[in-house]
Amino acid sequence: MRRSLYPVVWKELRDMARDIKTLVAISLLPLLMMPLMGITSIYVQTLQQGVAVVINEDPGTLTIGNATFSTNDLANSIVAALKSKGFRVLNHSVKSYDIMIIIPKGFRANLSSLTRVALIRIVKSVGSAKSNEGENTVQSVLGSFARKVAEAKVKYLGTLAKKPVTPDSVLNPIVYTTVLVGPSGTTVSVEESFRVMLGRILAFSLVFVTTPSIAYITDSVVGEKERKTFEALLATPVPRWSLVIGKTLSASVIGLITGLADAVGLLLFFALPSMTYGVNLFSLLTPGLMIAHVSAVYLSVLASLALILPIVIRSGSYRVAQAFSLAIISVASVVFFISLYADINALTAPLRYTLYVIPYSHAVGMIKRSVLGEVNQAAIHALVIIAEIGVLLALAVKLFSEEKIIYSKT
Amino acid sequence: MSSNGYAIRLEGVVKTFGKKVQALKGISFTVPKGVIYGILGPNGAGKTTTLRIIATLVRHDRGVVEVLGHRLPEERAEVRERISYLPEDAGLYHRLTGWENLLYFAMIYADDMESAKEMAARGAELAGLSEKDLHRKASEYSKGMSRRVALARALMVGADLVLLDEPTSGLDVFSAYTIRKTIKEFAKRSGTTVLMSSHNMLEVEELCDRVILINKGTIVAEGEPKELKHRANASNLEEAFIKLVGEFD
Repeated sequence: MRRSLYPVVWKELRDMARDIKTLVAISLLPLLMMPLMGITSIYVQTLQQGVAVVINEDPGTLTIGNATFSTNDLANSIVAALKSKGFRVLNHSVKSYDIMIIIPKGFRANLSSLTRVALIRIVKSVGSAKSNEGENTVQSVLGSFARKVAEAKVKYLGTLAKKPVTPDSVLNPIVYTTVLVGPSGTTVSVEESFRVMLGRILAFSLVFVTTPSIAYITDSVVGEKERKTFEALLATPVPRWSLVIGKTLSASVIGLITGLADAVGLLLFFALPSMTYGVNLFSLLTPGLMIAHVSAVYLSVLASLALILPIVIRSGSYRVAQAFSLAIISVASVVFFISLYADINALTAPLRYTLYVIPYSHAVGMIKRSVLGEVNQAAIHALVIIAEIGVLLALAVKLFSEEKIIYSKT
Repeated sequence: MSSNGYAIRLEGVVKTFGKKVQALKGISFTVPKGVIYGILGPNGAGKTTTLRIIATLVRHDRGVVEVLGHRLPEERAEVRERISYLPEDAGLYHRLTGWENLLYFAMIYADDMESAKEMAARGAELAGLSEKDLHRKASEYSKGMSRRVALARALMVGADLVLLDEPTSGLDVFSAYTIRKTIKEFAKRSGTTVLMSSHNMLEVEELCDRVILINKGTIVAEGEPKELKHRANASNLEEAFIKLVGEFD
């Protein structure tokens, strides 16, 4: 039993199991944050009601060849489309609005002309989050209306020229097709294309699991000194490596708990877009991917502990330890944030290699490669992060100084 | 040196913190085996630093330190196997029960779980807590109860040398009396060498076979309490200390 990990792990786990408040807090953080992210990114947009004003200053109809168009119908279509996006639509000017659409006088005359263009005025409020959504909606309606008018004009010109004319040959002389392919070069479905987005979100979700474990290990080491339990322990034959590894392994249980909570949070997160877009994203969450995610979570936590431990052991005070903890959490957040927008492998050499030194980059790599089915690449990332953790823990054992611990200020 | 009957030998030990604070200015003393040996001195005299050096926690800058025949700091691992240490104001793991606090340290010293439990049971007996108290969380203990468990944790492991730093500091009269009684009975029964520091002269006079008087990192006097009193022509150790320190200054 002596010279083994067992006593330290036994004590740490027992101590942790009785710290119910911390356990609840670390479980709730990812469990709440993931669905909250989903709600804020999707639902808040739709729940926020915009105000739109649609004014038709040129009501009536116009004729192009045999086709008849109505500005009233156009205005009604715009109103219906905006209402479907949750806008409150008014037909008179008000002081405060997100977007205003005006069909001006002379619109019909210009629209029916073969030499002029018709103008519609769109007024957007600066700083309004809903104005862009309103503009996109209106543009979609106008695009459809303009297409019908253009087709009527082409047909009319064909009649005048007494030549057979197909509207598409004039309006869309070039067509193109888009095909999505996966890493192996084979065509993938639209649902599968969500994998890329999924990988990014999964990688970013790691940000919620690093903070509790870093806070826990900092308290575990500095707290022992504060509570005056460390000094007696350090004079015992307990090997220094068993203190470092034992504390790390025990604190990594926090990682497992947050990892599982994160996975549950993830399922809740995906329930929202699945309901909103009608896309079954759950089919993308394969058991393999979930295993890769939980492994990445666990290794991220171990990496955090391995990064902070040498610093906590050597730091002169609790404040210094906390400052370094914050710095490591910040570095982790930056890496996870980068992963949300960029592929680390595709970055230029200096930045890519700098990021590769940071263990979190490989946790991100594990997830992103697993998402794309690149198991070998994911395994390489896993091996690199494990090696980095090993080196950092060895460093923590090497830097272990009883004198530093005893005489550091709390 | 232990083969010559000494548990501890310090020769010209110097310890400086930073560039200016010289905690120990070349102290030398030897502690015979099987005695209760006291380090007596005011706050900041260098008592704790001396104990921490012997407990392998702090490295001295100059001089020779031998503990149970092992040279420090080179043979720290060997020394840690044979000593136990109670720091001043030593705390307990407050989420663990008193029994678990004892068992944790027992597991570090014992070869298997059965021996660890036997060791912890010995500790429980030394702590003198009721069965009910023993299985309460340490956070619910009074200061006196915590100190009894911490002392028991240091005494139960069967060390050849027990280091106690101010074991009764901050305790009420009853708790301090219980602690002193436990130390005395333990040393008498086991024959273990005990090195304890204190600034309580009466406590040292009652417990210790030999003492050193230390002040500002220097040993002022060494001998049996009776001898020191006689040398200083004092009625008690407190008076002797004041006279001897005064002579030294």
